[in-house]
Amino acid sequence: MTTSNNTTNRIVAIITLSLLVAAMPLLHVNAANNKHDTDSLPVKIERPVNSAFTFDIGGAQILDTYLTPIKYTGMNMRIGYERMQAMKFSPLHWISQIDAGIDYQKVKNIPRTRTMHSLMLEFQWGMMHRWHIDCLQGLQIMAGGSTRFRGGALYNAANSNNPVSAKLHWSINMQGMAVYNTHIRNLPITLRYEATLPFIGAFFSPEYGQSFYEIYLGDRRNIVHCGWWGNRFDMRNLFTVDLHFGRTSLRLGYRGEIETSFVNNLNCHFFTHSAVIGISGEWLTLRPGEKTIEKARIISALY
Amino acid sequence: MKGFLSTLAIAILCIMLLPVFQSCHKYEEFANDPEGNFDALWTIIDQHYCFFEYKDIDWNEVGQRYRAQLLPEMTNEELFDVCAQMLKELKDGHTNLISSWDISRYWIWEQYPENYDERLIDQYYLNFNFRQASGIKYGILSNNIGYMHYGDFGSSIGEGNLDNILAYLASCDGLVIDVRNNGGGYLTNVEKLVARFTTERILAGYISHKTGPGHDEFSEPYAYFFDPAEDTRIKFLKPIVILTNRASYSATNNFVSIMKSISRVRVVGDSTGGGSGMPFTSELPNGWNVRFSACSILDPQGNETEFGTAPSEGCKVDMTIDDIASGRDSILEKAFEVINDMIAAGL
Repeated sequence: MTTSNNTTNRIVAIITLSLLVAAMPLLHVNAANNKHDTDSLPVKIERPVNSAFTFDIGGAQILDTYLTPIKYTGMNMRIGYERMQAMKFSPLHWISQIDAGIDYQKVKNIPRTRTMHSLMLEFQWGMMHRWHIDCLQGLQIMAGGSTRFRGGALYNAANSNNPVSAKLHWSINMQGMAVYNTHIRNLPITLRYEATLPFIGAFFSPEYGQSFYEIYLGDRRNIVHCGWWGNRFDMRNLFTVDLHFGRTSLRLGYRGEIETSFVNNLNCHFFTHSAVIGISGEWLTLRPGEKTIEKARIISALY
Repeated sequence: MKGFLSTLAIAILCIMLLPVFQSCHKYEEFANDPEGNFDALWTIIDQHYCFFEYKDIDWNEVGQRYRAQLLPEMTNEELFDVCAQMLKELKDGHTNLISSWDISRYWIWEQYPENYDERLIDQYYLNFNFRQASGIKYGILSNNIGYMHYGDFGSSIGEGNLDNILAYLASCDGLVIDVRNNGGGYLTNVEKLVARFTTERILAGYISHKTGPGHDEFSEPYAYFFDPAEDTRIKFLKPIVILTNRASYSATNNFVSIMKSISRVRVVGDSTGGGSGMPFTSELPNGWNVRFSACSILDPQGNETEFGTAPSEGCKVDMTIDDIASGRDSILEKAFEVINDMIAAGL
């Protein structure tokens, strides 16, 4: 079923977000004259790699009308790796991010008689511009873009010739992050909020009543679609707090995933809400023969 | 600073609230009560079943007729019976309602002679002297005609097994492939088997699927082809007769319709049971499963075979009770006659 006001709502959402993104650089931020800006100084700069290994556990709600018209609910888990680093050409102002993960959902129908499994792999690479905010020491705002590949499958063993719904999605995303380094008593902490919003891409979907056997036979018409907010809306929200206990940090947080698509008259929803726990830390690489980095200036991507 | 932080907080809040503004495409949800489950079943079939037009079924009228039998206090078994009766209106062996205590069915072969007696073949034609591999029973009959019975396309066939079977039968003057009582299985096994009886790429048929919920929303039929088995594999390229009855259904019907298009092949027996719709499965709010024909597979001539593939011209044969009593398989006897005619004709 479709609703007539979808387009209007999406336009409102697009305008809202666009205004927010556009306004970000104007928020009392003075990147050009920032006192931290020493990119041009002849000081040796080291860019530590900020790595984090995380484990998510939480709930999932999945609907895929290719498999069933019933909404399934259950558990979600994810193992993820994130790598962030200030970029060489402008370490103060640009950071790169790699985010990879594998997530698994085990969900059941309402009477709990059927089980559906979902296994997805994803890889994301992005770049963000960073602004240090003068008015609040320790606060950074980042905005940029990323590209993500996500693929996997939903499997419903009770089905006959439609037991699997394959998922492949490549997207280009808007991405924003707010990071605040502060203390609780003597414990340094890093608060972070990150939003990722795909706005265009390509994704796979079989046709309404098409079997994968037919695709195997060679009928691949109309199975790859341009993904935009008219047929697909995805979003990821991530809140984390890194508690810095010495050289490594404990990461705690929340991750919310939203994936929705409506194409070929097939309706798909994928919602997860999860608690995040992990470890993070920063690592520097010593070059051969290099014994110390004491005199170098260290520019972190996050902390 | 306060102003900036407020702005930032509002910005983050707005971004997080985006999904609220983003109204997903809504879908119909049904209550888990007799009416809700009935409506869910009716809607699933209404939006996904692929033979309404071909069978000229007025599904709205059917729905109204059976909905009138619903009562709020009816038991699950009573609801199951109403739903099962409604599905029988589709006259489709691929359409079933599956609960924990029963599976509704419409088996066309229950209305026709069985036309097959396995014991009769084993005793009077094979003398209990046969081999079995990959779910195929095979042997050489006294008139030097090879015989193989494949009873289930769900039994995977190994390429090596087929090599052994066809090597054993290679010296025969002709081959009888008996697929009576084969209710279907995997279409990939059809491809594997057909590939042993052709030396060139053949048009296997057309496949068409639904592109939307409307009764007339279908994709253009897509032609698909089968390639012959690799040169290193053993093939049988002499006259072939396929034996069928009404219980030759689904993937078996597909196999027969494709083999029938090969010039050295004849089909003898009764019409197949049909079942050309590839079944999908869905479910109701109460957990019952429903299976239904979702996309149509046409034969190489572009014809529907939902109601069966007819035997070759002049090859329609039924077994009588007297035949069975006298240890005679009249369909197999006809196959011998047809093979001899084909040999005489130089095929």
